[in-house]
Amino acid sequence: MTESPRYLRVFGTFARNSLVRDMTFRANFLIDCVSSLSWVFMNLGFYVLIFEYTSEIGARTGWQKYEFFVFLSTTLFVNSVVQAFFMPNANELSELIRTGHLDFALLKPIDTQFIVSLARIEWSSLANFVFAFVLLCYSLVQLNFTPQPVQFVLYPLYLACGVAILYSLMIALSSVSIWLGRNQSLYDFWFYITNFSRYPMEIYAGRIGTPLRRVFTFAIPVLIVVNVPARLLARPLESQNWPLAAFALVATAGSLAASRWVFQRALASYRSASS
Amino acid sequence: MFTTHPPAAAGAAGHFSPQAPRPIIEFEMAIIQVRGLAKSYRVYQKQEGLLASVRGLFHRRYRLVQAVRGIDLDVEEGQFVAFLGPNGAGKTTTLKLLSGVITPTRGTAEVMGFVPWKRDNAYRRRFALVMGQKNQLWWDLPAQESFRLHQQIYRIEPERFERTRDELVDLLRVGGLLSQPVRELSLGERMKMELIAALLHSPEVLFLDEPTIGLDVIAQHNIQNFLRHYQQLRRITILLTSHYMKDVAALCKRVVIIAQGRIMYDGSLAGIVDRFSGHKVITLQFADEAALPADLDRYGQVLEQQAPKARIRVPRRAVPELLAAILARHTIEDVSVEDPPLEEVIAEMFSQADDRIAAEERAEQLA
Amino acid sequence: MLAKARTWWTILRICLEERLVYRGDFALGTLMRFLPIVTQIFLWRAVFEATSGSSIAGYQYHELIAYYLLTMVTRAFSSMPGLASGIALQIRNGEIKKFLIQPIDMIGFLLLSRVAHKLVYYTVALGPFALVFYLCRGFFAGWPDPGTLAAFAASLLMAFLLGFFLEATFGMLGFWFLDVSSLLFVYMLFNFFFSGHMFPIDMLPGIWGDLVQLLPLKYLAYYPAAVFLGKVEGAALVTGLWVQLGWVLFFFAASRLALALGLRRYSGFGG
Repeated sequence: MTESPRYLRVFGTFARNSLVRDMTFRANFLIDCVSSLSWVFMNLGFYVLIFEYTSEIGARTGWQKYEFFVFLSTTLFVNSVVQAFFMPNANELSELIRTGHLDFALLKPIDTQFIVSLARIEWSSLANFVFAFVLLCYSLVQLNFTPQPVQFVLYPLYLACGVAILYSLMIALSSVSIWLGRNQSLYDFWFYITNFSRYPMEIYAGRIGTPLRRVFTFAIPVLIVVNVPARLLARPLESQNWPLAAFALVATAGSLAASRWVFQRALASYRSASS
Repeated sequence: MFTTHPPAAAGAAGHFSPQAPRPIIEFEMAIIQVRGLAKSYRVYQKQEGLLASVRGLFHRRYRLVQAVRGIDLDVEEGQFVAFLGPNGAGKTTTLKLLSGVITPTRGTAEVMGFVPWKRDNAYRRRFALVMGQKNQLWWDLPAQESFRLHQQIYRIEPERFERTRDELVDLLRVGGLLSQPVRELSLGERMKMELIAALLHSPEVLFLDEPTIGLDVIAQHNIQNFLRHYQQLRRITILLTSHYMKDVAALCKRVVIIAQGRIMYDGSLAGIVDRFSGHKVITLQFADEAALPADLDRYGQVLEQQAPKARIRVPRRAVPELLAAILARHTIEDVSVEDPPLEEVIAEMFSQADDRIAAEERAEQLA
Repeated sequence: MLAKARTWWTILRICLEERLVYRGDFALGTLMRFLPIVTQIFLWRAVFEATSGSSIAGYQYHELIAYYLLTMVTRAFSSMPGLASGIALQIRNGEIKKFLIQPIDMIGFLLLSRVAHKLVYYTVALGPFALVFYLCRGFFAGWPDPGTLAAFAASLLMAFLLGFFLEATFGMLGFWFLDVSSLLFVYMLFNFFFSGHMFPIDMLPGIWGDLVQLLPLKYLAYYPAAVFLGKVEGAALVTGLWVQLGWVLFFFAASRLALALGLRRYSGFGG
C-alpha cells in the first residue's frame, strides 16, 4: 500500500458513480438533457436569424453561414465537455469550502486538485456534445468538405487544449473563492470572460478590438479555445494559422501550470468551516 | 517500555538488523508531539444598523479569534486520549491542525514523524479523521461504492480490503445495509459507515471529532463499545474529542481538558476531581420528616432539601468536623459523602478559565 | 396604521442590511453585466460590415447597440432573480406556513424586499451604468423629447411591476406542481429569447414577429428600449402603454388569486 493511487482507475470510479447517481434520478437527467439542448437550439435560432439578414459575419472573414456553424459546433464541443466534467466540480468546490467538507479531500492520499476537479460528472451536459457532432457533420456536408487525416488528429487535440484552457480559468477562479468567500460574481466573471471565446477572433478589430484580441489571446487565452480548432476545419491549412496553432500548445501548458499554482496557494490558506 | 523507533521517524533505519548491537535502553518517542501550537483567525464583523452597513461597503472591520493559543502535548503509541472542552474551546481546531487540514499560525507538531500540514501522501495513508457532524460518503450511493473508492484511493490490496471490510462490518453489525443508499440510513448507521470508511486502510492514528454527537443513547453505546474493542485489538493511537462525559468515561484513561484554546489539565479522569474540586457533597437522610432543620445552611451551601433528605455542599477540609456536628445534633438515618458531579467540576474549571482569559484580554487592551 | 408603516420600514431596513453584507459581489457583478455588450458591439459591427451599411429590421448599427444598452436598463428594472424559485422553495419546505400564521401579506412582503434589493442595486449600479453610457454616448442620437422620456419612465416602472407579478405568479405554481424548476427554466428561456433581450423583436420575420408582439414578455426588455429610440410613437405608443398596464393588473390579480387558492389548498393538507 505504498504506491500512489492509479489515477485513471479512480477517475473511472468517479465516472461510474456519477453515472449511477444520474440514472437514479432519471427524470431529472432527461430534463437536464432537454434543457441544455433547448438552450442550444435558441442560440442556433438566433444565428439562423442573423444569417437571414447577412451572408457573412465580418467583411471578407470567411465566416459564412456553414463555416460559422462549424465554429458553433466547436464551441459546443468544448463547452459541453467543460460543463460535463469540470463545471459541477467547480461549483461544488465553493460548497465544499463553505461547509468545510473540503477537509475530506485534504485527508486523502491523493492529489487534491485531482479529486476536487473530477469527483463529479454531469453526464446530461454531453447531450450538447452529441448535438454538436450532428451539427458539425451537417455543416461539413453543406460545405462539401471532407477533412484530411491530419485534421482528424489535430482537431480533437486542439479541442482538448481548449478544454484545458477553460478548465484552468475555472479552477483558478474557484480557488480564489477560498479567499473571497461567497463568490457568485466569480462564476459570472467566468461566464463573461468565456463569452468572448464564442465568436470568431476576426470580429475583434479596430481601436479597442485589436488590443482586446491580443489580451484574450496572449494574457487570458480564451480566444484560442474555439478559434484554433474551428479554423482548422473551416479555414484549413492557411499558413497564417500555424503560429497561432503552435502558440495554442504553449498557452495550454502555461494555463495549466498557472492555475495549479493558484490552487496550491489557495489551499495553503484554507480555513475549514467550524463544526 | 522498550521498543524500536516508529518506522517513519527514523532516518535511515528501515529494518531492524539482528546483527547490529541492540541498544540497552531506547526511549519511546511520542507518536504525537505538539509544541506551542497556535491558530488564529480573522473574522469579518457585521455592523448593526443601516448606516453602519453602508459604511461596511467601504471599510471592513476584523476581529481576531484565537482558536488555539499555544498547546503542548505528547501522546504515546497505543494511547486513547480524550479532549474535553466546551464548544469553541479549540478541540476541533487542534484535530484539524494535527490532520493537516489547516496550517497553524505558530508552533510545531509531528505525528509519526510527519509534519501534518505538509500533507504528504505517505502521512495521509496512515491516519484517519472522522468528524461527527460531517459525512464524507457519497450521499446517493450505497456505502459499499464509497468503500470501493476508498480502496482505490488508498490502494488497498483486494483481499486485505475485503478482509478488513468484513471484519469491521461484523463488529459494527451493519451487514445488510451496505447496498442501501447512504441517505436512507439512520444517523447511527451512517456514523458506523463513516467509521468503517475511516478504518478500511488500517490507520495507525485515528482522530475522532465528536463521533457520537446527535446519536441516541443506544447508538452512542454501540459506537463506544466498538471503539474500545477495536483499540484493544489493534493498539492504534486514538484522539477523541467530545463534550459528552460518557464517551470519555467509557473509553479513555487519559483526559486532556481544553478551554479557550489552552490545555487546562492533562491526566486521568479521577485526578480532575482531586485537583479541581475543593468541595464535597453530603447527602443526609433524617430520621423523621419533621426533623428537617431549618438552619441547614450553617453547615454549608444547601443544594437541595426535600424531606427527609437534604444535600449540602461543603468544603473538603471541613467534612469531618461538620459531619460530627450534624450527627451529634440530629438523628441521621443515612449519610453519604460524594464528589460533586464531574460535569460540575469541569464547568467550574471552564468558567474560571473564561474569567482568566477575559482578565488577560482586558490587561492587554490597557497595556 | 402607523404601526404597520413602521413594520414595513423595519422589514425594508433588514432586507437592505442583508443585501449590503455582500458588497464585494455587488460592485463587481454590476460592472461584469456589461461585458456581453462588448461582444455584441463587435459582433454586430461585423454583421453590418458584411451587409455594407443597410439597416437590419429598421435598425442602424448605432441604433442596435443603443438598443442593447437600453435593454440593460430595462432588465435592471424587470429582472427578478430568485423570486419564483424562492417562492417555490418556501412552498416545498413548508416555510410558507409562516404566512398562514403571521399577519403578513406574502406578496406585499416580497414586493418590499424586491424594492429594497433594487434600491441598493441602483445605488451601487448607478456609477457603472453612468460610466458605460457616457463611454457609449456615440451610439445615441441625443436625448428624446420629454414626452418620450416620460413614456420611457412609465414603461420602466411598469416593467418592474410586471416582472415582479409575472414571476410571483409562476412561483405560486409551486402550490400545484412539486417541481417548478423545469417550468421556470422554460419561462426563462422564452423570456430570454422573446423579450427582446437577445435581439430586437422587430427582427423576427412575418407571423413569428406578430405572435411575439402579443406576448407580455416584450415589455420586460424590448418595449422601453424601443420607446426611447422612437421605434414606437404616437397612437401606437399610447396603446402600447395601456396594454402594458393591463398586463400588470392581470398578473397582479393572477398572483393574488394563485396565493389565495394555493394557501387554501395548502392548509387543506395540514402539516
